Amino acid sequence: MISRKLQVAIAALVLAIFAMGGYLVHLKRKAESISSPPISETLTPPVNGPAEELVLYLASDEQNSLQVTAISSALPGDPGERGRLALHTLIARYLQKDSPHPLGPGSDLHDVYLLDPASAVVNLNAAFANSHRSGIQVEQLSVFSLVLTLKAQLPQVTRVRFLVDGKARDTLAGHIDLSIWYDVAAVSQAAAELK
Amino acid sequence: MLKVHAIAVRLTALLLLLLVSGFAAEPRRISVYAPQAVYQVDILFRDGVDYVGITDLLEPLGRLESRVDGKKFKLTFNSAEAEFQDGKRQCRVRSNKLDLPSNFLLVDGRGYIPANSVAQLLPRLADQAANFHQASRRLFVGSSEIHYTAELHRAPSRLVLSFSAPVNPSSVIEKNRVRLLFRREPLVGSGPENVTYKDVFVQGTNFAESPAGAELTINILQPAIVSTADAGRTLIITAVPPPAPPQAPAAAPQSAPASPANQPRAVRPHPFVILDPAHGGSETGSMLSPTLPEKVVNLAFARRLQRELEARGVPVVLTRVADNLLSWDQRAVSANTSHAALYVAIHASTTGHGVRLYTSLLPGAPPTPAQATTPSATQPAQDRRAFMPWDQAQQPFLAQSASAAAAIAAQCSSAGLAVHTSAAPLRPLNSVTIMAVAVELAPTGSTAEELATPEYQQKVAAALASGIAALQGRQGAAQ
Repeated sequence: MISRKLQVAIAALVLAIFAMGGYLVHLKRKAESISSPPISETLTPPVNGPAEELVLYLASDEQNSLQVTAISSALPGDPGERGRLALHTLIARYLQKDSPHPLGPGSDLHDVYLLDPASAVVNLNAAFANSHRSGIQVEQLSVFSLVLTLKAQLPQVTRVRFLVDGKARDTLAGHIDLSIWYDVAAVSQAAAELK
Repeated sequence: MLKVHAIAVRLTALLLLLLVSGFAAEPRRISVYAPQAVYQVDILFRDGVDYVGITDLLEPLGRLESRVDGKKFKLTFNSAEAEFQDGKRQCRVRSNKLDLPSNFLLVDGRGYIPANSVAQLLPRLADQAANFHQASRRLFVGSSEIHYTAELHRAPSRLVLSFSAPVNPSSVIEKNRVRLLFRREPLVGSGPENVTYKDVFVQGTNFAESPAGAELTINILQPAIVSTADAGRTLIITAVPPPAPPQAPAAAPQSAPASPANQPRAVRPHPFVILDPAHGGSETGSMLSPTLPEKVVNLAFARRLQRELEARGVPVVLTRVADNLLSWDQRAVSANTSHAALYVAIHASTTGHGVRLYTSLLPGAPPTPAQATTPSATQPAQDRRAFMPWDQAQQPFLAQSASAAAAIAAQCSSAGLAVHTSAAPLRPLNSVTIMAVAVELAPTGSTAEELATPEYQQKVAAALASGIAALQGRQGAAQ
């Protein structure tokens, strides 16, 4: 016969387990909401500043190519902010309806920062990588498009590295390597060979 | 009351033990050595018994069809039929009833047999003898075993190891011992595990088996070298000869002391190409349709390409022949130790159309495949023996890889396939130290199911095989 005290202790432990489980789920949701803020699909330029040319390398899955498009937009002077805004604009294009290179909902980047004038780190959000379609071509187009769009805004950058939620990641979606520094010249050369 | 406490304490301890062992355990596998293939099968541990998936075990050995009918699992292997029932020991193979050592398991539509029953079942199903070394988890099918004898010769002292088939072990020469590691060869011991010699050079030998393969250790008293003879059937362990007196550089080659290492080596046949069906096991790759994972198409296509290559006389090996997961590094190591000339990673995708060929993307890459000129494939790669970082090891082979991709693309184009070549930062191409190409197969139309059709796979496999065969011919001509 199990004593009443032991019964109470076991019941309390079981309750504690459920309570902790619930709290864990709550924390996880909170963390996800912090790391994946909903993206605004329309670019809001800075209030001040002259309009400049923003060059986007837009990927097309069907044509297996990168199309160069220039738009006019006010851009910040800070290189990191400038790069972030350029890539944010690019990703927003991919999230539009009938995009030639669709990305998963919530895809965005947190920031772009420069280790030195030539080395840029792009910090993508988890939704970008986790919802990305898997395949060599689609992953290659995404990475090339980001690297070349960044290069167009920051010509001094010669190498680019990607993080996801601030952490290194092996591959984007099972194929293309995200653990390396991308040599911008090599990417430009390979992109030129795309159809 | 005390009894309840004791039970509670034991249960808690058992749970903790299970948790710890669950986290610490590495995946256990059985290594299968068969005349058709060398592969590994994952072990499933259930109710204190080791189980193996019967389809994983049989698929590389012949034509297999299986289906689940309620609690029954029926299979046809070549011409033999068998029937198993979930939770029952008794099964039927051909027309004979057979008792398994433990119950048959049916998990998620997959049939599992006790691991210690494989030697009992295989001869009845496959008409081939099977020998299972339970401690080392090595299964030998048919007459695949390689035996050896060791003979000590004196004046000068040397140990001559004679094998029943050609071998190509990794040798690790340490101060007091030489370790020969046989990872792919089905080497088995032919006598006592430990042999002692009374000699000034060789003290003894030790043979050991493990799931990773067999290891033969030779204990020595002097620095040694290992040389091969008889087309890889003989390994000779000799003491390092004393350094020759300094001579004029021009005269050195003629006056070098004669030793087995200086004798010309017999040329052993090596595979020309190593095919690597990407993904596998828990890593499905992309889902080509709700029911068609990429890993399935990759493996099926690799097997078809293997047949096409063999029909053209191109020796070929595969990194995996079953649904098991390999890491990127394991794939690169397989390629780098295969002695093959070309590595081909196989992928499939629903995006785009036709065939896409990729080579490694590295800084300072010389030509992309589209720029590659065909003659460079036959030129020696620059500085292959220089130390290279693991993630840039492909660098000296980039020009050759690009040229190989261009040659294969030309054959695909001739076969009427839409083909595209480019460089991509794709794992594990950067770490491969031979010509390395990745193929991504995409449908010609808009339906993913086309990727799994024999007709389409056959068309692409034939084109790729022709390209690879042409490459082999060109390399042979250059040599």
